[in-house]
Amino acid sequence: MSASIEIAGVSKVYDGGVRAVDAVAMDIRQGEFFSLLGPSGCGKTTTLRMIAGFEIPSAGAIRVDGADITHVPAHKRDMGMVFQNYALFPHRTVAENVAFGLRMRGLDKATIAAKVKAALAMVELSGLEDRRPAQLSGGQQQRVALARAIVIAPRVLLCDEPLGALDKKLRQQMQFELKQLQKKLGLTLVFVTHDQEEALAMSDRIAVMNGGRVEQVGTPTEIYNQPTTRFVADFIGDTNIFRGERAGPNLDVGKGLILALPPSEMQSTGVLSVALRPEKIRLSPRTDAAVTAGSAARGVIESTNFLGGAVLYRVTLEGGHRVLVQQPNAGTSRLFVPGNGVTLDWTPADLVVLKD
Amino acid sequence: MQGTASHSPSLAAPQQATRTAAAARPYGRYLYLAINIAILVFLLAPIAVVVVFALNPTPFIQFPPVGVSLRWFEKFFASRDFMHALWFSLEVAVLTTVSATALGASAALALARGNLPGTRLIVATMLSPLMLPAILTGLALFQTYVLLDVGRPTWGLVAGHTLVTLPYVVRTTLAVLHNFDTRLEEAAQNLGASPLRTFFEVTLPLIKPGVLAGAIFAFIVSFDQFPVSLFLVSPGNETLPVTLFNYLKFDLDGTIGAASVVSIVLAFVVVIGLDRTVGLRSYVKL
Amino acid sequence: MMKALGPLSRRRFLTASASLGIGTMAAPYVARADDPTLRITGWGGKWGEVMKAEIGPAFESEFKCKLQIDSAFPYLPKLQASSRSAPIYDVMHTNSNEQWAAAEMGLVEPKIDAKLVPNLADVYPYAISDKIVGVSIFTSAIGLGMRTDKGYSGVTSWKELWDAKYNGVRGGYVIPVNSLGQAFLMMCGTLFGKGQLDLDAAYMALEKLKPIKIVDFTGAMEKMLLSGEVGMCVIHDSGIYRYDGQNQPTDFVSPSEGVLSLEQVLTITPGSKMKELANAYVNYMLRPEVQKRLAETVWYSPANKKVKLDAKYDAKLLTTPEKVSKLIQVDWKWYNERKDEIDQRVNRIFRA
Repeated sequence: MSASIEIAGVSKVYDGGVRAVDAVAMDIRQGEFFSLLGPSGCGKTTTLRMIAGFEIPSAGAIRVDGADITHVPAHKRDMGMVFQNYALFPHRTVAENVAFGLRMRGLDKATIAAKVKAALAMVELSGLEDRRPAQLSGGQQQRVALARAIVIAPRVLLCDEPLGALDKKLRQQMQFELKQLQKKLGLTLVFVTHDQEEALAMSDRIAVMNGGRVEQVGTPTEIYNQPTTRFVADFIGDTNIFRGERAGPNLDVGKGLILALPPSEMQSTGVLSVALRPEKIRLSPRTDAAVTAGSAARGVIESTNFLGGAVLYRVTLEGGHRVLVQQPNAGTSRLFVPGNGVTLDWTPADLVVLKD
Repeated sequence: MQGTASHSPSLAAPQQATRTAAAARPYGRYLYLAINIAILVFLLAPIAVVVVFALNPTPFIQFPPVGVSLRWFEKFFASRDFMHALWFSLEVAVLTTVSATALGASAALALARGNLPGTRLIVATMLSPLMLPAILTGLALFQTYVLLDVGRPTWGLVAGHTLVTLPYVVRTTLAVLHNFDTRLEEAAQNLGASPLRTFFEVTLPLIKPGVLAGAIFAFIVSFDQFPVSLFLVSPGNETLPVTLFNYLKFDLDGTIGAASVVSIVLAFVVVIGLDRTVGLRSYVKL
Repeated sequence: MMKALGPLSRRRFLTASASLGIGTMAAPYVARADDPTLRITGWGGKWGEVMKAEIGPAFESEFKCKLQIDSAFPYLPKLQASSRSAPIYDVMHTNSNEQWAAAEMGLVEPKIDAKLVPNLADVYPYAISDKIVGVSIFTSAIGLGMRTDKGYSGVTSWKELWDAKYNGVRGGYVIPVNSLGQAFLMMCGTLFGKGQLDLDAAYMALEKLKPIKIVDFTGAMEKMLLSGEVGMCVIHDSGIYRYDGQNQPTDFVSPSEGVLSLEQVLTITPGSKMKELANAYVNYMLRPEVQKRLAETVWYSPANKKVKLDAKYDAKLLTTPEKVSKLIQVDWKWYNERKDEIDQRVNRIFRA
């Protein structure tokens, strides 16, 4: 049966004082697809390894369904894991790899055979039982690793960048399949990745980590639309970040640019950072009419980047600020070219005030 | 290659350079072949001489051989001393292989995994018998045994052989451990294997080629060992190389050749046997 | 033979495998555990066979002891490496030059006590001369070995070896490692200079001996003579006579200037705990019947005057005072003191 995981103030300090994980706290719910997202070295893999039992936390506790497992050895944790590069046993066949965990659990041969068969069928590898890992393609190895991990009906499935070695097409397909499987089996799945798109696409919730700390935990839409820290705003997707002094209902970000703050942020004071997603800014050909201070500005297209479904413009504002603007490729409106004068405008409510 | 050479003469003047290169290539190829053949001949010539010596009926090396006879083999197999030495050498080599492999593989594991302080120093120490002339190792051990008043027991000889064969096992095992993905062990533990079970199910099978290669080295080095044995053999228990050396001082006849052929064959059989039974082949194609 | 020995060896092998680290294995013959052990050195080959099969066991049962014969070279370094107070040998048997080196280091007693070894009274003077440490129980004669099928005849002198007709078939030794070569070097001084100690004359003579085929083991020279690769060489009589009866076209020449002696010498170590048994062993080895058996096995000339050899051996070996008087003994003490210098010099001569 799938379990919930509570990570309570867990830190990991290595010899020499390197603080790989710093007071991380999060609750992973039963049956949830939970991603740990962050750049390399952010502590996401170390956190996963502590859940798996390969590393012992220097401080804090890890609880599964309320029971403290902080010091339970890895082989008694009853968790499945899919490793980066799969870690399939090269000296064993596909069937033997999948059967390994079942054998360790002392199941009888007939049961093992049946479960292995079912697991391989689930990952669509029937017929490859007697191959060795080296004789399989990357995608097939990935499925074997998955079958090996889920055949033991683990309480939690841990995945350490499991799709990182696959090419893009195959990766998207596996993302889909993994998500389906997780839903079907109701697995609690902890997924480590540095790929924000992957995390946004698959997760129920995401913990964005940086420098050993959790920056923000939330659903993909929360993480994207309401980043709470400058790091999250910057790490997830493209964004424009402005920093300035609070002036009444506005933020003065210098060089003559004033941003009207969203009504929800009226209580903020002092120096603030705000984020504005490129796709939240509208572009129109420049006119001589005066712009609405706080929610509009004038500028010149500096460069364009055609993305197919959209166009990304780099615009230099009159005061010198440079902003990214993304417009859908509607096919009707004409595209701007470098040198075009443009007017930009946005809705103040789309500004997100960030913690530094 | 021949095709290139044969049509090149018809090429026009601008292709002069190409033609020279094409013409030169066969010579390069022949040179390459010649060098390879020369190396092979150099490697195999001693064995050939030994075989001729062993089969030639005259009591001295003679070229061309005057005939084929098994008299030296008969003499070798009929000699109590040689038979005793042969069995004793095998016995010592087997004991040495077992102890050097067990010690060397465990030491390599500890060195690769144990996070021990001064690992490099320990590795250097373990490999040091290779740097020291073996005759000095033998002499030093002999003096140690004499000082400790333990005499020259068989275990002392095995210990001496273990000392000089250990580096091979440590080296070959460390080499496979160096490329060993520890995530495989974590995967096993994650699937419920205890550390001990993980060792036998995953670690050992995967480092086996290295351990086995070390074991084969240990066997051969021990079986052919002369300098270390020279001081450590005790009266009545001499190894085959020592017996051959002593025999050589009094009787230089084909028996030496026969003994050499027998020991080459025997070493070969043991190596093949180890290879087949303990098995290298299963995942070497990987 | 192999079949008969096989099962026994396999059993011993299994026993030893099971008892790794327990201790020494059983000796091949049965001796009572509390019997004293006399540790000696001894040659291999035919000598070793007879010692192991007859002479040794007879001594063991007569003196109620165990004889442990080390026939694995090198003896002197092993003795040197062991402690003076508890040497690994009680009696050392080796050639005279090595005995002198051992005596110089105090590893062996310089003399055997005639009161403790009665048979000493019956040996030829050379066996206990001032050129000998301990006692020489046998000697070989170093002279010339030649092929009889090459038309060489009338060879009576050592100087014959320098004749140009032997260019290409002349045989000698690597002097630094071979006793025969060393003895021959001393002979060169006698032949061409003021005497044994005239090294300069010897070096000049060696220089003129080139081209020469040199070997390190004496056994190798025997084979080269048998195969005809060498036609005339320096060799000891036993190295020729041992092929007696095999119809080999080789013969030993005892040169008119005298033959060099290659003594088989026994000494007792000062630290031996088995002095009584050691003296008994030396005395035993000088017994006429023991001397006769060994002499007729390996064609060594016995040191005991009372030995009566069979006619075949008597005719060829040095068994009378007249024949023994032809022996020239080498001053090994003098030689050993200059060994390094001589080695360097002769290496240069034969390297060029």
